[in-house]
Amino acid sequence: MNRVKIMLWLVLAAALLLPAPAAYSAQAGQQQVLLLYDSLGQGTPRAGNVTELQRLLAAYSMTVTLQNLNEYEKGTLASYSRVIMVSNSADLPITSTAYLEDMKDYKGQALYVGYNLPDPVKSRLQINQSVLSGGSVSLSIGSMQGVLLRAEEMPYISDNKADRVYGTLALEGGSRRVPYAVSGGQYTYVPYLVPENGSVMAMAYVLSGWLDTAVRPYVYLVLKEIYPFSDLNLLEQAAERLYESGIPFIASVRPVFGNTDFPAMERYLEALKIVQSRGGSILVNAPAVRPPIDSNDRTLKGKMNGFINVLAVNGIAPLGVGAEGYWTYDKEYSAAGMGFFDSAVLFPDEEIHYMEQVPVSKAFASSLYSITPEALQQLRGTGRDLPAFPLKVAVTVNLPESADGLESMLESLNASWITFNDYRQEDHTIITDTNTVAASDGVIRINGEAVNTDYVPKTVSGDYQYQEEQFQSFTRLFSVQNQFFIVVIIIALLFFGALLLIGRRLYRKKYLK
Amino acid sequence: MLGSTVKTTLRQNIVTAGLRISPACAAAFGVLMITVIALFTAPYVGMADNGDFFRIIYSNGLYFNLPDYDSRYFGYFVRQYGIYQYFNENSSMLQSSQSLFIKLAIALNKLIFSKAVFDIRFQAAIYVVLYVTAVYLLIEAVTCRMSRKRGMIVAAVAVFIFGDTGYTAYFNSFFGESVVMIMMIFMFASWLLMYRKRYNDYVLLLVFLISTLILTSSKQQNAPVGMVVALLAVSLVWIREDRWFRYLAAASAALMLFAGAATYLNISKEFVNINQYHAMTRGVLMESDNPETVLKSFGINEQYAILKGNTYYDQYGTIDVKSEILEDSFYSRYGFVSILKYYAAHPGQLGSILDVAAESAYTIKPAAMGNYEKSAGKEFREQSHFFTGYSLLKENLAPRTFSFILLWMAVVTGVYMPSFIAAVKQRDVRRMQRSVLILATMLVGLSGIFVSIIGAGDADIAKHEFLFTLSFDLVTFLAVSDVIGRVWLRKKLSGAIPAAPEVPVVPAVPAAQYTGTKEGVSA
Repeated sequence: MNRVKIMLWLVLAAALLLPAPAAYSAQAGQQQVLLLYDSLGQGTPRAGNVTELQRLLAAYSMTVTLQNLNEYEKGTLASYSRVIMVSNSADLPITSTAYLEDMKDYKGQALYVGYNLPDPVKSRLQINQSVLSGGSVSLSIGSMQGVLLRAEEMPYISDNKADRVYGTLALEGGSRRVPYAVSGGQYTYVPYLVPENGSVMAMAYVLSGWLDTAVRPYVYLVLKEIYPFSDLNLLEQAAERLYESGIPFIASVRPVFGNTDFPAMERYLEALKIVQSRGGSILVNAPAVRPPIDSNDRTLKGKMNGFINVLAVNGIAPLGVGAEGYWTYDKEYSAAGMGFFDSAVLFPDEEIHYMEQVPVSKAFASSLYSITPEALQQLRGTGRDLPAFPLKVAVTVNLPESADGLESMLESLNASWITFNDYRQEDHTIITDTNTVAASDGVIRINGEAVNTDYVPKTVSGDYQYQEEQFQSFTRLFSVQNQFFIVVIIIALLFFGALLLIGRRLYRKKYLK
Repeated sequence: MLGSTVKTTLRQNIVTAGLRISPACAAAFGVLMITVIALFTAPYVGMADNGDFFRIIYSNGLYFNLPDYDSRYFGYFVRQYGIYQYFNENSSMLQSSQSLFIKLAIALNKLIFSKAVFDIRFQAAIYVVLYVTAVYLLIEAVTCRMSRKRGMIVAAVAVFIFGDTGYTAYFNSFFGESVVMIMMIFMFASWLLMYRKRYNDYVLLLVFLISTLILTSSKQQNAPVGMVVALLAVSLVWIREDRWFRYLAAASAALMLFAGAATYLNISKEFVNINQYHAMTRGVLMESDNPETVLKSFGINEQYAILKGNTYYDQYGTIDVKSEILEDSFYSRYGFVSILKYYAAHPGQLGSILDVAAESAYTIKPAAMGNYEKSAGKEFREQSHFFTGYSLLKENLAPRTFSFILLWMAVVTGVYMPSFIAAVKQRDVRRMQRSVLILATMLVGLSGIFVSIIGAGDADIAKHEFLFTLSFDLVTFLAVSDVIGRVWLRKKLSGAIPAAPEVPVVPAVPAAQYTGTKEGVSA
């Protein structure tokens, strides 16, 4: 009996002490990664690969410190257990002595991307490299098979004796296969990363292994570009049709910071309530940002707080924030604009206007990697079904502008054979000064009360007093007085007219005879 | 007495006892000194960028070379800019006569200072020279028939008004107001000098033509200026008998009309989104009882009522003001003409917005923009108070309703009407010119208000109404100068000719007997 007891205790202790998969257990921001680069590769096919890495790391809930190698200071590496070095300049060797010296003593995990692989790494992984000057190669990694990549000055690992190999690149029409990436000990090497092709998702597979995380491969549908000025009937129709097709979706809605009592705003809120009742999760999209004119403008927090409160008061539960990736690298935007949320969908950057850029990113417990349907199509490769990605993906489409657009969107979604997941099944918490929104296992609560998703649409009345009526005293007296004077003036005019006529006659009689 | 009112010439100004300067010289020198101290001695006074500079400087081969330039918007005046060293691929975003002065300043800068860095004070120097010349001509036009004593009083008033750094701070900026101010004074002065029959009429006509053309084409909102001035300047055709002058005057009027029309046509193409956005959100929607109905009348989705009161410069907004959505379903639905029609159909709303406009109609230097460089260690948006007595006085004392503007126009028109009627009776077209000029200036000022309201609502209105505030000052200055002249004259006449105490408002002098001396009576 005692032995059984001891065994039970041991099992329990083991269960408690064994590390759980990071993504399920780790809090956002616990893991920090130092991302170094020698060049952004502007003007080359590699331009944008650092940004893609930032987006991928954000999707793994990593707090990233981005730094140009030229600005590296001695001792920085000591604070990080993981470092990524992106080298986009084949011709310029790394000369930062501070970095090179620190790397000699570095004991953490190091991931190298691109050129200038240091000799210790080469010898540890016993790597030989070559460059493919043209043509195309076929990439296979994880469940992603046969994705074609255009090879343009493409470095690859021609030979290696590494411990672990990530994916394969089929060269020369498939007659030769080389690894996409390799790792051994503390080093991992990815020779090729170019934005807007399959290498980005391949990198996601590598990162998944390198970060030792296991994220549920969920795919979500995000409808973007939803404004109060959008065709709200079409939005409601889209929600209805997606609901009928059994496709849960996320609506990333634009915030409104003023005139929230106008009938136009009420109609917007009504449409959002219908979206919510038809399986739509509401995401607060980041506002449009102007190039900062006044760097002391600190109004964002109040504005976002106000909008979330308006939604909450109207029974609409926002579950996260949708923003361009660079927002997480801005002190003001990340704190004042995104600080209410623990979940985010990060879109690719379109127009960057930093208010206060910082090198360290804000991490979210739940962060989706946004991808367009077209990019998703490229990743199908030779497989019929969509591969299971190693991270949470948000397939992002703009709200159609017409009924025809809606039809074609629905057709392509149905034809895609993608099983979209319900964002409400995840955990989300949003806290403002007066409201708390929480979602868990499909139940949404606003201030502890479950949100009623069976919403019956209402018609919004257009009657609204836009201008405040000014207080007027003695209106009756003035009105009587007005009428009195009008009568007096008319009589006076007639009287003078008559006098003029009489006078004219008298004058003519007297002098013009 | 006659000796005291004869024309003064430069030679007469220099007397054997030493240098004896004319009122015009005194005023010009006073304005020059104050402006030089303000603009060219530390801490330099200028105007901060409100986000508009890029439109004019890029196309002229300049760029912002400060890495933190964005943080200085509205707050700090920036003195130095970079000069493009390579091919400038920026097409001209803004067609403006202001470019002439910027290009000239860059050439001067390259010659004297640097080929890579542009110091805006070179532009200010050009403007100052022109401005001082314009002020000289203006004061000469006003005081040329006055005695030196009252001329000096007028000169002092002129320095108080036109030396105000509220006006001259614009020289250290890329705002078109600098050109507007200088050319407006040139135009006013040359017209007045023709009325006074001072200097050569042909030369004055040339100055008048050039200044009006530059003024009209300096800003898109000045399109009506060319048209108003052209129509009223037709009367100049008959001020001289010689055929050549008549042809030239008629051709000048036609050219001005053409310039106005060309600038107007440019508006329809270049009616930039900023102003168009404000015309609706800060204009039509602002004073409307039901913005949704208004939007429907323009064929715009009623949901855009949410944008009521928003500005283009809002740091955070629901929609990107440059987005395709706005382009397709908002901006493309209305323009200058449709807004004009709307106001014509809704005079009540026009009245309300005009009152809003009148609130800022007396502001010379907008409070939104700082006047100092960051290096001066001043606060963000801090304004200079050096020699700003007139602008402060005007801003604080002028009644801020549109009815006051109408009253002011009525009073000024009434005051000058008798002299105009007398001139009409005598068929003396030259003597009619002062009233015509005043009418033209008032209409130009009014056009400034109307174009601002229709073109950009109440946004940035203090700057947009610059044309009105300047017109108001020019007309009021002329009226005050005439009053100074008249008061003095009454005293003189009552002492010298006790038998004729009643001095007619306008001396009934036949056209043939018109002389400069007598003209001085009505000043």
